[in-house]
Amino acid sequence: MYNSADFIHYGVIASAVAINSISVGIGQGLTSCSALSAINRQASSRGDIMRVALIGMTLIETVALLALIIAILLLVNTSPEASNYFEYLAEIGIGCAISITGFIIGLASSIPAQAACHAVARQPLFTQRIFGFMLMTQVLIQTPIISALIVSLFIQGQASSATMLTDSLRLIASGLCVGVGSIGPAIGLSIFSHAAINGVGRNPKAYNKILSFTFVSEAIIETPIIFCLVIAVILLFIVQRPTTYTMIDGVIFIAAALCTGLGTLGAGISSGITGAAACSEIADNPDNHHLLSRTSMLAQGLIETIVIYSVVLSLLMLLFK
Amino acid sequence: MNSAELIETHQWNLFSIFGYKNPLLAINSEIVIHTWVIIGLLTVALTTVHYILHNTHLGRFILIQIVDFFVGLTKQSLGKFVFSHCVFAASLFIFIALCNTAPIIPWLDEPTRDINTALALGIISFIYIQINTIKLRGVGAYIKDFFKPFFIMLPLNILAKLSSIISISFRLFGNIFGGSIITKLYFTTIQISWIAQLIGIFSGINVILVLFFTLFEGLLQAFVFAMLTLTYLSIGAEDSH
Repeated sequence: MYNSADFIHYGVIASAVAINSISVGIGQGLTSCSALSAINRQASSRGDIMRVALIGMTLIETVALLALIIAILLLVNTSPEASNYFEYLAEIGIGCAISITGFIIGLASSIPAQAACHAVARQPLFTQRIFGFMLMTQVLIQTPIISALIVSLFIQGQASSATMLTDSLRLIASGLCVGVGSIGPAIGLSIFSHAAINGVGRNPKAYNKILSFTFVSEAIIETPIIFCLVIAVILLFIVQRPTTYTMIDGVIFIAAALCTGLGTLGAGISSGITGAAACSEIADNPDNHHLLSRTSMLAQGLIETIVIYSVVLSLLMLLFK
Repeated sequence: MNSAELIETHQWNLFSIFGYKNPLLAINSEIVIHTWVIIGLLTVALTTVHYILHNTHLGRFILIQIVDFFVGLTKQSLGKFVFSHCVFAASLFIFIALCNTAPIIPWLDEPTRDINTALALGIISFIYIQINTIKLRGVGAYIKDFFKPFFIMLPLNILAKLSSIISISFRLFGNIFGGSIITKLYFTTIQISWIAQLIGIFSGINVILVLFFTLFEGLLQAFVFAMLTLTYLSIGAEDSH
């Protein structure tokens, strides 16, 4: 006899794998598409382009593998008799964290691979450097999925002790915070890495300057993800668990999670666009990179202030409710 | 596995013998001891650096490269070389880098995975930046900045100034905390059987995890911390024109 709790449980498992597979499929398709057009342009470096595209696609697949691990963990933990409704409700949090993050990361991490194919076609003698650069940016783009994995494992550890609607809403909120919060920074990171790899492809002499700028700039762009992780951990461990059933607690949890999560959306994208503009300018004019990187970092620091406002508001909501 | 074990540290309530049981007075004893060990390592390095500089060729070359790196960093972010700023950023970088990469040494944890250490470093950097801005601009002009463009903007301006502490210290804390949680989860997972441990050792996954999360992330975050401190310093200096 199946009830609505089982429906939620198996729905979460299926959607975690399915949504991630969709995005990984689209990303790999786009990558091989640009590999083909790059080979069409520079047929002599066919082997290099194929190698770059294959390794890029393997890295994109990491997202689907992590979703598979979470799905198998959930499936193993299925209790055959007397399913706890609130435990399965809390698993919606795991679904949010893994599906939303995985969908956006699968698409975002394909963009450096696409840019790298075109860059190798443009600079065949510079393949090794472009290849290393693509690997580094792809690994940096995939950090949100790691934080989503941490939060999912914590949610799964606490889900069995959820006995109230507000308690499972707290777990859903922490998953939602990580999931929604990774959308903006992931888009920003992909815009930035596209511009950086394009810049290396246009002007290989600016490689060292673009590399040192990339380290700092990508760390600044992905800071909002870290803020979301902090809010999620506070929701999981530090917030006082509600002992009596009051609906307002659940509303506060969801509101605080959405406040930080949606607050990172604009800041991540615009910080990425700022860094991308600075990167292409450095590629055009490597001598001025001191001035350009300083101005870009100043602007990115100012953009980040907006996220901190929403983080402060979330903290006030959670800790002084 | 109890997931709360991963983030809890041993607390030592120093003033409880006098009857004060306030949780704000408690000390995270593990974190403090690990920080002392790192300070001890730095002291040993400090006492031997003079010998290395004068007696070994390779050591002298490496030291000169390190100093050149910091001088170049200061010039790049400030536009000119200022000795005190360079020394401040270099000492922040060396301390944070050693804190972040501490798990390489047996029985040591990262002190920066505690929010208190990260916040303390952020506050130190903030105070240094504010003192330098006041020195450059004068007290009157510094206070007048808070009332720009209108008088009403005062609370928003104060919040924007203070937000730099949160941004700089939470970035350090979150990255190191996430990395240490991931490595600990992995190593508690493979301890269930010796087959998993053998696979972990010989396939190289152990080494890759430590290389990425401890060395790469740790050095990168230390670099970003020093770089952002220098950038905030240059913002304060640019206002004076």
